[in-house]
Amino acid sequence: MMELFWTIFSAAFVVTVIRTTTPLLLATLGGLIADLSGALNVALEGQMLIGCLTAVIVSVYMPWYVAVLAGVLVGGLLGLLMAFFALRMKADIILVGFAINILAAGGTVFALALATGGDKGTSINLVSKAIPGVDLSFLGGIPGIGPVLVSFLSGHSVLSWIAAFLVFAIWYFLYRTPWGLWLRGVGEYPAAPEAAGIPLDKVRTWSLIVSGALAGMGGAQLAMFNYVGFTRDMTAGRGFIALGAVLLGARHPIGALLAALLFGAFEALAVVMPGLFAWVPAELIRMIPFVVTILALVLFSIRAQRALALRGAR
Amino acid sequence: MTDAPTIVASTRWQTIRRETGRALGAALIALAVTCIIVFFTSKAPLEALTTLATAPASRIRTIGLWIDDAAKLTITGLAFSLVFHARQFSMGVQGQVYIGALAATYVVLSPLGVTWAAIPLGMLAAMLAGGLWGFLPGYAKARLGANEIVSSLMLNYIAIELCNFLVRVSLPKPLVGVLTTNDFPDTAVYPALVANTRIDLGLIWALVAVLIVWFALYRTSWGLKLRLVGHNARFAEYSGIRPTTIMVSAMTVSGMLGGLLGSMFVQGQTYGKLTVLFEGNLAFEGILVAIVARARPLAVPFVALAYAYLRQGAQLMNIRTDVPAEVIGIVTALIILLVSSTYSLPGRKVLARLFRREPKPATASATGEV
Repeated sequence: MMELFWTIFSAAFVVTVIRTTTPLLLATLGGLIADLSGALNVALEGQMLIGCLTAVIVSVYMPWYVAVLAGVLVGGLLGLLMAFFALRMKADIILVGFAINILAAGGTVFALALATGGDKGTSINLVSKAIPGVDLSFLGGIPGIGPVLVSFLSGHSVLSWIAAFLVFAIWYFLYRTPWGLWLRGVGEYPAAPEAAGIPLDKVRTWSLIVSGALAGMGGAQLAMFNYVGFTRDMTAGRGFIALGAVLLGARHPIGALLAALLFGAFEALAVVMPGLFAWVPAELIRMIPFVVTILALVLFSIRAQRALALRGAR
Repeated sequence: MTDAPTIVASTRWQTIRRETGRALGAALIALAVTCIIVFFTSKAPLEALTTLATAPASRIRTIGLWIDDAAKLTITGLAFSLVFHARQFSMGVQGQVYIGALAATYVVLSPLGVTWAAIPLGMLAAMLAGGLWGFLPGYAKARLGANEIVSSLMLNYIAIELCNFLVRVSLPKPLVGVLTTNDFPDTAVYPALVANTRIDLGLIWALVAVLIVWFALYRTSWGLKLRLVGHNARFAEYSGIRPTTIMVSAMTVSGMLGGLLGSMFVQGQTYGKLTVLFEGNLAFEGILVAIVARARPLAVPFVALAYAYLRQGAQLMNIRTDVPAEVIGIVTALIILLVSSTYSLPGRKVLARLFRREPKPATASATGEV
């Protein structure tokens, strides 16, 4: 038990947590934007997965930042596709979301087989690039705390810093700008913004696009930093866990950050545990993030239910 | 999910014709897109498409594969139809399949497995376990308001890992290191209805399940309440129905169907044993079947039959040509998008608009506007 304790409080574990949290956090923020505009984006999983593959394939031929942008772009396009079918064609958004997930599960394997010349499992024979870490070793010059700062802060993916910044940016956008007010209004009580002349569908479309783009960025981080290369079904439910994190985070950016950190910490635990406890079966370790998501969802939905009762909705 | 006004406005036959037309229109568009993709990516596109279109019906063995797949798709389609009727997007069929299969395996590999009771008890255990797996997210939703989509999806992953774990560690297996259990005793495997094919007792169960679900939905007060809750939960509540009870029961029954499907997999002619990841993402295809069938139990087997043909065609195309079977995922997604997008609107107008917007598959509009 002591080994586990020391592992958890080591700088290396914190770095692992930040690495596992980043894709989850990006997807959670995407889910948050969609959720606040009144649509549960169940397609996060598929958008991430397609983001992964796009980023990997583009990174074979282009610099890493172009690959990340491609992942973001593709996620955004999928968001636009959702918006088209859900808003223009009046399809149920949840069915549209699952259609995208099915498209992603089959389509990525199909595209992978085309790109690798028949390999349906991994992109191992494609030379894809990684997102560089941000080197902050100059902080070591600070007397006293310098080395500690370096061990905690240096070497994270560029996208980790961007994700942390996005938490703040999205909070600012939602609560300090008029467009954020529009977006929350559209999700909360559409009749009011409609009466005020705010174009509902436009707001919803943009929020779905941004939502997909963030999930795509999460996918890029997953396939270009956490792992380098694409594996079939590599998102492994992260998009769905992010969906739980949105609800768990009380639909607030800071809450989303905390929820993503919680799930990220358990995923990191699942990463370090096999090395510590060889006797714990791998299957049970892989189960941890899902069990934690269910438990957290159940525990926190009591609170959410109370909030809903207070609002008087439903 | 039900479109009551349309039913009132038109006769039954008109509805059937219109719905069939819509589904065929969507399928034609999706297939047209597939053809384009295959033409651009394959070295021998014509051969691939011919295989896709004709191979499943070519031999008695492939027909068996097709019918067996259709029976399984029927069950998962029914499971999704039930929860869609209650307007619950419970996505837990996959997990229920694994849990049901595990329960059936434990019964079958016990001393009971060599008696006549192996098949009925295995099925019963599977249905109970699947029912429990469907009940959990339903109860969490009804009692605590926990989102049923997230919880049922998490339960899927948990069930898959549980199955992996138990097969690897606990269940008896022929060799150390293989990820399958011992073959089930003959008494525990569904007898084949047609010799040397995979058509087995599961086909009968699928047809019986269609009739039972139809009867329960349209000829019992439970079914009426269920459809009412799905249509307008608040109205149902005002008229004295407890929506939460109905929702939970619908999700439990749906879970029992999922569990039955698990038993059909492991006790069927296909496997006759439990192996890891046996279900191959079939369970989620029930979404397509239920949506195209408009969650109507009697339409489910026909949709399943058509879709199973496509799936088997894709598998054979994968084996015989250079086109991966996963191309069918694109077809599935497109069909869901097209069919579900006409769900809540007067369909013909939308479809007509859709076809006008996309000039390419204009030929399909003739079918769409029957």
